[in-house]
Amino acid sequence: MPKIGIYVCHCGLNIAGVVDVKRVVEYAKGLPDVAVARNYTYMCSEPGQRMIQDDIKVHNLERVVIATCSPRMHEETFRRAVAEAGLNPYLLEIVNLREHVSWAHSDEPERATEKAIDLVRMGVARAMLLEPLEKTRVSVERNVLVVGGGIAGMQASLDLADAGLRVYLVEKAQSIGGRMAQLDKTFPTLDCSACILTPKMVDVAKHPNITLLTNSEVTAVKGFVGNYEVSILKKPRYVDEKACVGCELCTKVCPVKVPDEFNEGLSQTRAISIYSPYAVPKVATISPKHCLRLRFNKDVCGKCVEACEAKAIKFDQQPETIQIKVGGVVLAVGSEVFDASRMAELGYGRYKNVVSNIEFERIVNASGPTGGKILCPSNKQVPKNVVFVQCVGSRDKRFHEYCCRVGCMATLKQAILTREHLGKDVNVYVCFNDMRAFGKGYDEFYRRARDLDINFVAGLPSDIRCDAKGGLHFDVYDKGTNKLLELRPDLIVLANGLVPNSDLGKIGELFHVSRSADGFLLEAHPKLRPLESAVGGIFLAGACQGPKDIPDAVAQASGAAAKVVDLLAGGEIELEPLKAVVDKDMCSGCRICESICPFIAIEMKTEKADGEEKLRAEVVEAMCQGCGLCVAACPTSAIKMRHYTDEQVLAQVQAACAGGEAKGGGC
Amino acid sequence: MKVAVFWGCRILTSQYAYEMSVRETFPRFKVELADLSEANCCGDPVKSMNDFAANYLAARVVALANNTGLSDLLVPCNRCHFVISEAKSFMAKNEKTSKKIVEILKEEGLDYNPSIKIWHTIDFLHDFVGLKHVKKAVQKPLKGLKLATHVGCQIVRYSELGRVDDAENPRKLDELVRAVGAESVDYAEKLDCCGANLMLSHVDSALSLAGTKLSIVHGYGVDGLVVSCPDCGLMFDYKQKDAGATVGAKLGFPVVYYTQLLGLALGVEQEKLGLHLNQSPVDKLLSKVSA
Amino acid sequence: MGLTDLTSMAKPNLESREKILRKLGGRELVNCFQCIKCTSGCTALKLLELKPHEIIKLVNTGFVDELASSDIIWTCVTCLKCLQRCPQRASPYHVIMALRNLAVEREAKVPEGYLKAVSRILEIGLAEGVQDVVTRKMEILNRESLKLPKITYPKESFQAAFMKAMEER
Repeated sequence: MPKIGIYVCHCGLNIAGVVDVKRVVEYAKGLPDVAVARNYTYMCSEPGQRMIQDDIKVHNLERVVIATCSPRMHEETFRRAVAEAGLNPYLLEIVNLREHVSWAHSDEPERATEKAIDLVRMGVARAMLLEPLEKTRVSVERNVLVVGGGIAGMQASLDLADAGLRVYLVEKAQSIGGRMAQLDKTFPTLDCSACILTPKMVDVAKHPNITLLTNSEVTAVKGFVGNYEVSILKKPRYVDEKACVGCELCTKVCPVKVPDEFNEGLSQTRAISIYSPYAVPKVATISPKHCLRLRFNKDVCGKCVEACEAKAIKFDQQPETIQIKVGGVVLAVGSEVFDASRMAELGYGRYKNVVSNIEFERIVNASGPTGGKILCPSNKQVPKNVVFVQCVGSRDKRFHEYCCRVGCMATLKQAILTREHLGKDVNVYVCFNDMRAFGKGYDEFYRRARDLDINFVAGLPSDIRCDAKGGLHFDVYDKGTNKLLELRPDLIVLANGLVPNSDLGKIGELFHVSRSADGFLLEAHPKLRPLESAVGGIFLAGACQGPKDIPDAVAQASGAAAKVVDLLAGGEIELEPLKAVVDKDMCSGCRICESICPFIAIEMKTEKADGEEKLRAEVVEAMCQGCGLCVAACPTSAIKMRHYTDEQVLAQVQAACAGGEAKGGGC
Repeated sequence: MKVAVFWGCRILTSQYAYEMSVRETFPRFKVELADLSEANCCGDPVKSMNDFAANYLAARVVALANNTGLSDLLVPCNRCHFVISEAKSFMAKNEKTSKKIVEILKEEGLDYNPSIKIWHTIDFLHDFVGLKHVKKAVQKPLKGLKLATHVGCQIVRYSELGRVDDAENPRKLDELVRAVGAESVDYAEKLDCCGANLMLSHVDSALSLAGTKLSIVHGYGVDGLVVSCPDCGLMFDYKQKDAGATVGAKLGFPVVYYTQLLGLALGVEQEKLGLHLNQSPVDKLLSKVSA
Repeated sequence: MGLTDLTSMAKPNLESREKILRKLGGRELVNCFQCIKCTSGCTALKLLELKPHEIIKLVNTGFVDELASSDIIWTCVTCLKCLQRCPQRASPYHVIMALRNLAVEREAKVPEGYLKAVSRILEIGLAEGVQDVVTRKMEILNRESLKLPKITYPKESFQAAFMKAMEER
């Protein structure tokens, strides 16, 4: 029988404050084949680990049982420690005395200690049956897929490309740039957004290691970390990308008016157009929904063909499917803006002079629908009173519970820009609940706004009304003065929150990434692993993981890129051996396991047995996630889970029922 | 189709026009009304005194409806509709307390039945009878009438309870007005309260709220205001003179119940619809409707 | 309790606060983050100075007793706008109703209109008595002359049942 070492951790007072650790150690000493049993304040610390390593060498230990916190915390650490001392890391058993005992039963120390004793006995029973295992190595593709060409996607792409990896940047829209391209100035520096963004856009387009696929979407994903096979659909532009020179003569002659998406529908463009003044690539695209020729499939119009000197219009262009192999993926698909027409009481969508923050951003931008002049949409007059209303759709249990994180700063910026554009001739009010200016330079920015005589009303309005003459008005109670104020603004800007992208459902299905309760993509750990999803090789960057501003998006993107480089730099990665394994002699070829595996990790292979060709299941180890469904489903018990065999689990059950210090304790 | 009907207190004791117009119009859609016998107050004023007793009173109304053997209960008063809806929700969520109420009801030989569906006149006509059938039954379309609707508070709020129409953008009463051929205008103060509840404690403030809304709507140049609750009818029609006096406005503005309007469009005689009982000068409105 | 209101020297009464929370059957009122939407839209604010956000804050801090014996809790019009629009699903309306119930329990001031209504329900089962109405042509009419069916009032057994219900706390 193998020699066992048992270590009971105090975890400071986390465990020892409830469990009588000395009693547990005494009990452990009495178990068969236990060469040494110790307790210590912090097993995961350097001296704690050294203690185990020394004992392995001195007592020739063949199994180690550590009764401590959840294996999710330090199992990796302890495995490394044990391996360093020459013992196979999979001959280690962790018993959870913290999450499963001291934290769950903190008000019953006596019974908690009894449970700790039971769990240690069970851990020893399993440890006896553990077998040594080895990690496997698999080679990886040194290519990366970045989904989403906003600031986060572009930053990640540039970092990855600079590191020498080949990057495929897929963007759904006709141009990269995302939300940031729509902004006028950025807080808190009031940098011109396009000025700091367009150089990056050009870098992306020019970088030899980046393949830019705009007007494209991911349609299928297969494979596993280091070896993903991705299908990308390149939607037709009906314009030859190589021939188009971006002169926009086609747009001038097209008769079909279409709401301009880049300007949030505040102006119109044509069925053939270039996405924005800063579009990269600067190539026209025809909208098949609006173009007369494409919609009715008739040989009509064709004015763009006549006008195009480069002969770049190609109505017969087909969608293209591109297959790529990548080692890692960065998801950077961004977020959307709350549709305030869902809050009917605020009049958005009903009254023209109630606009959203993103619409205001276009109004105030020189390349926007009014050439950068702040004008009321209803009558194109300069407003004398502008009011900003905060927290629209955010911090609201009826819509989105979370704080949108950028609403306050965006409004401060827009309020300051209003003052800068219109000078002393405008009164600017901000109706707020809390003013959140938390970042570097942010509270100073808030002060700057106050210095510019922007009035902050501490209270939110219940509703917004419009009188018969079209005059907007509303009442708001101000906590500061304790007065009920009536405001009659010419223009109202709603601080709509950032909400999860409507594509996240599709993205989740394609990449097997989950979403958190707020609807954004779920990170592996909210504190310590905010850049990774729970799926190996898939990383998260930007607002798709949670609403954030530009500095945070850039930081997260660079971080995600670094993690991808970590993963792929070595050219190969290690895989955990905790996978399912098929005993071919027991397999009947019934295919139940193949149909039940959620990771498509089981393949049927034809093999010769007894002179016949028989179908046998085989586990694709690299894709197996060790979930155990196949093990449970197999009718002939032909599949076993390494490190979690039936014998190991049943031994624990037996030990559980064997009773503790009191003899004859049943279950 | 037979439905039980609970009139509450105010309709039965003073707002007769509402009762008369419902009794005249509903049968024309093949709806037979079965009055509850020995009905009690729904509990609205008691909510402020003792919530348990108020829920008991509302549950008793539902139990009386159960006695008729019918599955639907029509409640034409907004406030009764709210009280009964809240009581139903309370009974469903609070096992211990609802048991006590069920016991008290049993002492009178009554059984609470949670599956009885509660209707208001608006959703009954709009959803159950259906706009199509309302339109079809119209014999004298009220063309040329420009009206404003006041649907009230307690049948559109609060949404989580499941109300008769959308809280921020109620459309059903407007669509019913259009179904009888008249025009219904939208206006900013549409969702403002008539103030009726304050008549129990702050009469001047109640009249001030009603007077303010009336003078604003009057200012829009519409031919009249359409209501569907006896409390709103009390404030805007019955007490119009006092309301006007409180805010210093001379009003003289027609206010009618929707069912009175519906009756006119169906060709029912004006007296049968209680139009002689309205205290507001509805003759102005009636003269616009072709003879 | 380490808190004192220096204007009135009152201290929070956490028991009374607990009582209100129990009456409400939920803890949403503690989620109120004073966004002021309720007060901005309160029907009774302009005329009667009712501030729903203040009522919620006072209750949450524990200053329940002064509210239960106040006039302000009887100014609510029950228009339900506050709870319809509250982003935290707190309900100043329900809190005010709970405070009114508490006032009645403690026999504090209750407007006569409510007392009259309850005594009439005890008497005849309805909160209102039958009235004559006057037409615009100055004719006096009633249910009988309008050929409306007679009202059937609840029997005596109702009175006992209602009184029993009113005793429940």
